[in-house]
Order: sequence, then structure tokens, then C-alpha cells
Amino acid sequence: MGTVTATFVETVRGRIWRSFDRQLFLYVALLISFGLVLGYSANYGVSGTPGTLSQTVKTVIWAAIGLTGFFVAASIDYHWLSTFTGPIYLAVLGLLVLTMLIGTHLFGAQMSISVAGLDFQSSEIAKVLMIVVLASYLHRRRERIGRLSTIVGAGLVMVIPTFLVYRQPDLGTALVFVAVLVGMLFLSGASIGWMALLGGAAIALAPLAIGAMHAYQRQRLFCFLDPNADPQGACYQLLQALNAVGSGGLLGQGLTAGRQNQLGYLPVQSTDFIFTVAGEELGFVGCAILLGLFALLTWRIVSIAWHARDSFGMLIAVGLASMILFQVLVNVGMVTGIMPVTGIPLPFVTYGGSSLVSLLFGMGILESVRMHTEKPTF
Amino acid sequence: MADLNDGDGEFPRSHARFAALSVIAVLIFGALAGRLFQLQVLDGARYAARAVAVRTLEVSVRSPRGLVFDREGRLLAANTPAWTLEATLADLPADPSARAWVLFRASRVVGVDMSVLTERLQAFKGSPYELVPLLHGLSREAALTIGEMGEQLPGVTVAVEAVREYFDEDGAVDGTLLSHLVGYTGRVDATEFAELAARGYLPDDVIGRDGVESSMESVLRGTYGRQLLERDASGRTVKVVKTLAEPIAGKNLMLTIDARMQRVASDSLLWGMQASGVKQGVTVVMNPQTGEILAMVSLPAYDNNKFAVGISQDEFAAYLADPGRPLRNHAISDIYPPGSTFKVVTALGALEEGVTTTTQRWPTYGCYQIPDAPEGQCLSDWNNQGFGPLNLVEAFARSSDTFFYQMAIKLGLDRFGSWAQQLGFGERTGINLPGEAKGIVISREWAQAQGRPDVFTGELAQAGIGQNVIAVTPLQLLNAYAALANGGTLLRPTVVRGEADDSGALVRPYTAEPIRTLSASAADLQAIRIGARDVITTGHAYNIRDLRLPGALSGKTGTAEFGSAPSGDALPFHSWFVAWLPSVPGATDAQLEVLTFTYSAVARGNVSLEVVKYFLQQWYGLDQDLRLDPTDLSRVAAN
Repeated sequence: MGTVTATFVETVRGRIWRSFDRQLFLYVALLISFGLVLGYSANYGVSGTPGTLSQTVKTVIWAAIGLTGFFVAASIDYHWLSTFTGPIYLAVLGLLVLTMLIGTHLFGAQMSISVAGLDFQSSEIAKVLMIVVLASYLHRRRERIGRLSTIVGAGLVMVIPTFLVYRQPDLGTALVFVAVLVGMLFLSGASIGWMALLGGAAIALAPLAIGAMHAYQRQRLFCFLDPNADPQGACYQLLQALNAVGSGGLLGQGLTAGRQNQLGYLPVQSTDFIFTVAGEELGFVGCAILLGLFALLTWRIVSIAWHARDSFGMLIAVGLASMILFQVLVNVGMVTGIMPVTGIPLPFVTYGGSSLVSLLFGMGILESVRMHTEKPTF
Repeated sequence: MADLNDGDGEFPRSHARFAALSVIAVLIFGALAGRLFQLQVLDGARYAARAVAVRTLEVSVRSPRGLVFDREGRLLAANTPAWTLEATLADLPADPSARAWVLFRASRVVGVDMSVLTERLQAFKGSPYELVPLLHGLSREAALTIGEMGEQLPGVTVAVEAVREYFDEDGAVDGTLLSHLVGYTGRVDATEFAELAARGYLPDDVIGRDGVESSMESVLRGTYGRQLLERDASGRTVKVVKTLAEPIAGKNLMLTIDARMQRVASDSLLWGMQASGVKQGVTVVMNPQTGEILAMVSLPAYDNNKFAVGISQDEFAAYLADPGRPLRNHAISDIYPPGSTFKVVTALGALEEGVTTTTQRWPTYGCYQIPDAPEGQCLSDWNNQGFGPLNLVEAFARSSDTFFYQMAIKLGLDRFGSWAQQLGFGERTGINLPGEAKGIVISREWAQAQGRPDVFTGELAQAGIGQNVIAVTPLQLLNAYAALANGGTLLRPTVVRGEADDSGALVRPYTAEPIRTLSASAADLQAIRIGARDVITTGHAYNIRDLRLPGALSGKTGTAEFGSAPSGDALPFHSWFVAWLPSVPGATDAQLEVLTFTYSAVARGNVSLEVVKYFLQQWYGLDQDLRLDPTDLSRVAAN
């Protein structure tokens, strides 16, 4: 533990903070601000229950908590995390099982557990933690990375939490787990041949998974293929979202001036469909800026991965990049009608304390990876 | 962990795989940006239009209904606020017991059984966001209470709408004086709505049901406006986006009716009916120069104010059960045998067709043997004695039945029928009131419908004195006599003088084209008018000649027996009296003509004559009261 203490002292003394990635922090901060503004607009005119905090204030509080986590994670040498991946893994499984047992229902799914009045969406926390666990596993396997056993092993690590999340049911997050697994395996140097073979087998089994779905999930899932199939029912949300995004035009209708948003036509505006508010009120230009921020963020994360000192750091970064990239693709693709409707939040922008805190914690680890790129000099 | 911290950073790092990741990222952002560009920039207008279509709704804006005034500018029909209890299914508690509690509390406030509200709610088939009218005609207090309870009654609201209120000649709320003329408004029912929707009517709209409310519906209603509303996702109206068409208020109408005269006519008729035990009666007053109806009373009347707010089942059932049939305007909707008053047709036809001259004398009989009929089949004169030889003017004045049997038979069926038609019988007058009847005039077609080739001569003879196969509306008879009184113009009777401003001043008079000019000579018409003057002066109409009226009252009585005698001594009969007031005998300048009809009197006097007498006394403010007891046979000899 001596080296850990030394590293921490180094950190506090600020030597290695010179390589703190300011751009990464800037993009994250801008994305959170974007989310705050859109969330404010989504709830504009909705009178809150007296005595409770507005969503905007809650988001600020969550961001403050998240930023604390960010700086704590950034201050710690990320290598330290690999020393207790086992307990982390068990904690993730425990959290997910606990959610299944005592979770509160939210939109028909057991997705969160309440602790002291605060709702924790365990799957959001699980995503970041599983990236660390998987990175650690692949790092340890780096000598035998090309073997089939690596892929099978990684799959086994991921399958239990993925299944637990899927059973909540939270299909979206389960798919994020799969995307993260694929992304990290690919960049870890795993055998492309074996991956392709196993991937092909998985795709062949997809119809079985779809068949096992709840009817409402299946209906919503396929709306994007023909939104007019059930305009008053399952596809109503998608149609309204498309109308809202489309009516934003080039420059948008202005913040808090989007009629679809303000009149309540958008489904759960502040959560999964938050991007529709950007689409309607800020137009193509606003959406392009938002996507641009995600692109820049992705570039920074990939860059950190590239420059990482070891495969553990690289894989954490790749996992986070895969997660963010996949969530942006599915979320924005969903509200623009090119992806099935699944409940996947837009990172940093969708309102949600556990998501924001987990993401900021993940970004903190990234900063740690970034700052430990150079071999420490003693 | 030592191996991690001391790692040298050298580990397999595939350029190709990083490049692939970068390419995938670029493709993802590119695809999303491209899709957004397509949605927002290329197809933006289409989606915007779709979004507008989803959240906006074009609705009608009701136009205020036109007011109704009498000819003196007295307000007869106005719009007054009324409150309706409404509910929105989506806002009512979903829990059945909580919902029942809300409805129970609402029902207590408005004072009806809760089942009334739940039944209306269950019968509703539309969107859960639509307002369902549960109860119309709330009291102001109940409406205010519901409004104050607000949050305690989620989903229950009160809407205000305009309903009609009807007044009498003094401006008091009174729905019985003019109900048949003004009519009332009622709600459009589902079957009507199917037809009316294309004309801009709304599902719970009101429409005129009787009187001018019905006949002048399109004028009174105005034109509804159109508004584009923006609604939120729950269906609540957020704002008016724009007004597509302003509503055009309905036009105010001025009637030809003088409400004060209506009151006098109504009072005098009511007196006569009560004095004689008659259950149905009609008095119509007209200006025989213009066709304007000055008063039209049909008793018993109904209360149109009850209909305006929605009549109860019990009250409606009582109206239907009343043998006097208060819901019908007997002046235009029902047909009766006209009796001797119909002799004007026989007289005019006989003169114009050359059957007789005004001076030629004909024998009259106690009982007239019908030609071609077996010996002994005769038709009596009303006095069973005859009057000796009479000319037409004398026969008209004395109302000799046997004289007019001969005239009708000499005229023949076709010519008789054509003169009945010329004077407007057997066809509608076209007055601007709903529900007018055509009446029946004897004809060959009628006989053929009975399975005979032609009418019997006796039937034709009886038709000549307005019995048997002749049935007229009181208005038809009045209008025929107006043509006599004005010198030969059959007018189009009207109850609407024109359009008025809000203060009740006439701003746009309507003109009614006469139906036709009679092809009768002025001299012949003059002769019959003299006969009608003699009806008054020779005492056939008894003491009405003693009224000190500003003119030479002329007229004709009529009785028509029908049915069977209740006590063996006399048949019940309808009595008629029609009179007009020219300046001098035979003149065509009468400004006032009045007709009274009383239905099924078992009284022995002419009830209608007494009613008209009483009306004239009161209307001209005479300090005379020459009324007789209409049940006293000994003093009356009227036919």
C-alpha cells in the first residue's frame, strides 16, 4: 500500500495534475449544462409539488455529488481499482439482485432502489463498475488475449449482470452491457475470428430473445420500422417525438417555446426522450452542437485510451467510449426513428442522479488514466 | 498489483483496431447528423405541419341567437345564461368508489339522484378528454357551489351557455301567452344531428322547435364562427391559435303580433271557454290589408319557458295527456268543419259562375229534397222552416242552408271545388309558422278514394254549407274572409314584420307577396260584404250590433254539429265567428279582422260570437258589456 499512499501524496501536491485533461472536463461540463437547460425547459410550466425540489435543483445537487466523485476518482491512481475487482463484481451482483427483490417500480420495470429517499438505479452504477471489472479481467488475460477462452471468460463475467438487468426488465441497459463487452474485446486484441463466430451465433439466437420479450417491449421495439402501424398505441410516443424533432427545423422554436414539449405531447420528456426537446426547441443547429460535444468527448476518451500506459487503463477508456457511443447512437437513433424504442438514457443529458454520478465517476477514472499516462517519476 | 504499477506501458495496441473504432464513431455521428438533417431541415415543414395537426382542433364558436320583439318593440324572446353540469372522464378519479363519491357529492349539490349523473356518463361514447354534459339547467346557486368546490370534485365542472327566456306583453317571464307563435328551442337529438351536422350544427346544439323559433331558425341562429384551438396532450384547451371566422350573430326579428292585443284576445277567449266549458279555442286577429297577424291565440297553450330549460318527463307527459292538446297550434295545425262560414265560397262561386245574380230570388225550404235522391231524402234548413224566397245577399245574412244547398248543386262539384281553391282552401296559406295543415275540400278524388265514382249530390249540398267533406284551419277561413274584406286579394298571412335592431326598432321590413287576386267582380264581392254587414245588423248575430265600434262591423257566424248528443237534446258543435271592421258598410278599408273558433261546445249559444264581442269591447275600450251567457239558448239564434 505504500506506493498508493505515495501516489496520493503526489496527487495532492499537484504534480501530475498538470496532465489533467481539461478538454474532457470541459465537454462533460458542457454536456451536463445542456442537460440542465433541456431539463429545465422540459419541466417549464409544470408546477411542482410545494416543498419538493425542482428537477433542475436536484440535477445541480447530483452534479455536485458527481463532481466530488469525479475528483476523488481522478485523484486516485486507477490501478488501485484493480486490487478489488472481485469485491466490486460481487457488489454489482448484490446490487442487482437487491433491486430485483426490493426495487420500486418505474414505468413498469424494477429499476431503482430507494435509500434514504434517493432512488438508485442500480443498472447505471453497474455499467461503470462492470467496465472496471471487465478491463481488469482482460488486462490479466493480456498474455492469452487471442484465445477463445478469453472471449468465453469475458462473456461469462458479463452474462450474470446482463441477465439480471434484462430481467428487471431493462433491455436497453442489457444491450449496453453487450456493446461494452464487444467494444472492449475488440480493442483488447481478442480474436476477431472467434468474435465473429460467436457474434454470428448470438445474432442467430436473437429471434429467441425477442420472442421471450414482453409484448409491450416487442411492439415498441419495432415501431421504428413503421411508426404509423399503431399511431394511437405503442408507436404514439415515437410519432410525437418525430413530429417534435422535425418541427424544430434548422434553428428550432426556442427554449421553452416548443409546443409539443410544453403541451405534454412528448413522452417522458426529461428522461429518455430529452433529445426531442433539443430537436424541437434548438433545431438542427442545436442538435448538431450537442452531437458535436459527444463527438469531441468520444475523441478525447479514445485519445486517452490510445495514450494509456497499460491495457487496464486503455480498456477502461474503451469501455466508457463504447458505452457512451452506443447510448448516443441508440438514444438519438430512437427519437429520430432509426433505432428501436428502448429505454436508454442520453449520457450526461438525461435527468438521473445515479447515471450522472456513475458517469462522472467513470470520467474521474479516465482523468486518472490520463494523468498516469506518463511513467511516474520518483 | 505490483505488476500493474510497475508496468512499462508496452502492451499490444492495435492501430488497425483503434482506426476501426474511430471509423465506427465517425459513422455513428455522421449517420445521426444526417438523419437529423433529413428530419429537421429537409422534411421539417412536413413534421411541423403534422405536429400542428395533432395538437390543434378546429371548433365552432356559437353565435348569439337573435332576439324576438312584438310589433311595438316589446321583447318576447331573449338569451339568458344557464348552467350545465359537465364531467371529463379522464379527470374523474379512476378508482370506482372515489369516482362514485365525487358524483354523489355533485348530485347532492344539484339536487338530483346520483343515478341520473352516472347514467349520462355511462351512455357517453366519446374521448375521455371530452366534456360530457350531465345535467342542464342548474340553478345559479348550484352552479356557484360546484365552482367553489373545485378541487373536491375532480373532473366535474360547470359550463355556462345561453338559453331562451320568453316574456309576455309586460316583460314578465311568461311562456304561455305566445308559445305557439314564438315557439321554443330544444336540443338536437342524435338522429337529427346526423342530418344537421353538415349545416354546422353541433352535437348538443339547440334548434328552434315551434313557432318562429323553428320557421325562422336560419335567420335567428346566425352563422357559427370557427376557431383553431391548441390543446395539450390531455385534451385541455391551452389557447386560441386563431379565429378562422368570426361568428355572425343571429338577426333580431320583429313579429307582426301585438302582444297587448294577444293578451286581450287570450283573456276574452279564456273567458268564453270557461263560461261554456269548451276545451279548445282559437282567436286570430289579422290586418286584412296586409296579411299581418296581430294576434293568434290557441288554447290551451303550453309554457315554452319549460321547454327552453329542458322540460321534465312528467310535465311533458301531462301536456300529451291533455285532451285540449296544448302542444298544437289549433289555428293552423288542426282542421275543423267550417259550417256556415263556408257559405262565402258557395256565394262567390254562384255569383261568378252565373248561377244566380245578387237580386234573383230563390225559394227556401224547411227541408230541401235532394235532386236524384229518393223521395223524402231532404236536407233541413237550420230553422227547420225556411225563410221564403230570398236573394243571395239576404240568404247570406240569414244563413239559409236550403238556399246554399241549391247554389252548391247548381255550381257542380268542379266549379265549387275551384272556388274553394281560389279562396285558399285545401292548400297551405304559407304563413311563416311550422306545422300548417292543408285542410280538405270535397272532390272527385276524395270520392274515388272512398271507392265511389263520384260524390253524392247530398254531399255536395252539405259541402255548400261547410259540412261533411269540408275541413279548414281557422287561419284559412280568416284569410278567405280577408280577401272578401279587402276587395279581392288573397293575402299571404305572416307573423314576421321584419328584422329589428337590439332596441326593438324595425330596421329591415319583410314583404309578403299576396297569394293571388280573386277573379271575382268587385260588385259581387261588395254584395257579399253587404250581406255580411246584414249578419250583424239584422240581429242574426244578436246584440253585437249595439257595440259602439269605430266602423261598420261585418261578419259571419257558423256552427258545425258533429258527434253525438251527450244528453239527447242537442249535438255538440263547433262555433265560428269571423268579423271585420270597415269604415262604412261594404267598404274595403278594414284594418282589423278577427276570427274565433271554439271546439265542441254543448252550450246553445254561439260561444265564438260572445268571445269576439268581449274582445272588441276590451280592445276598443268600450264602456259597454253586452256579453250573453253562452249557455243560454233562449236568447240566441245563431247559425
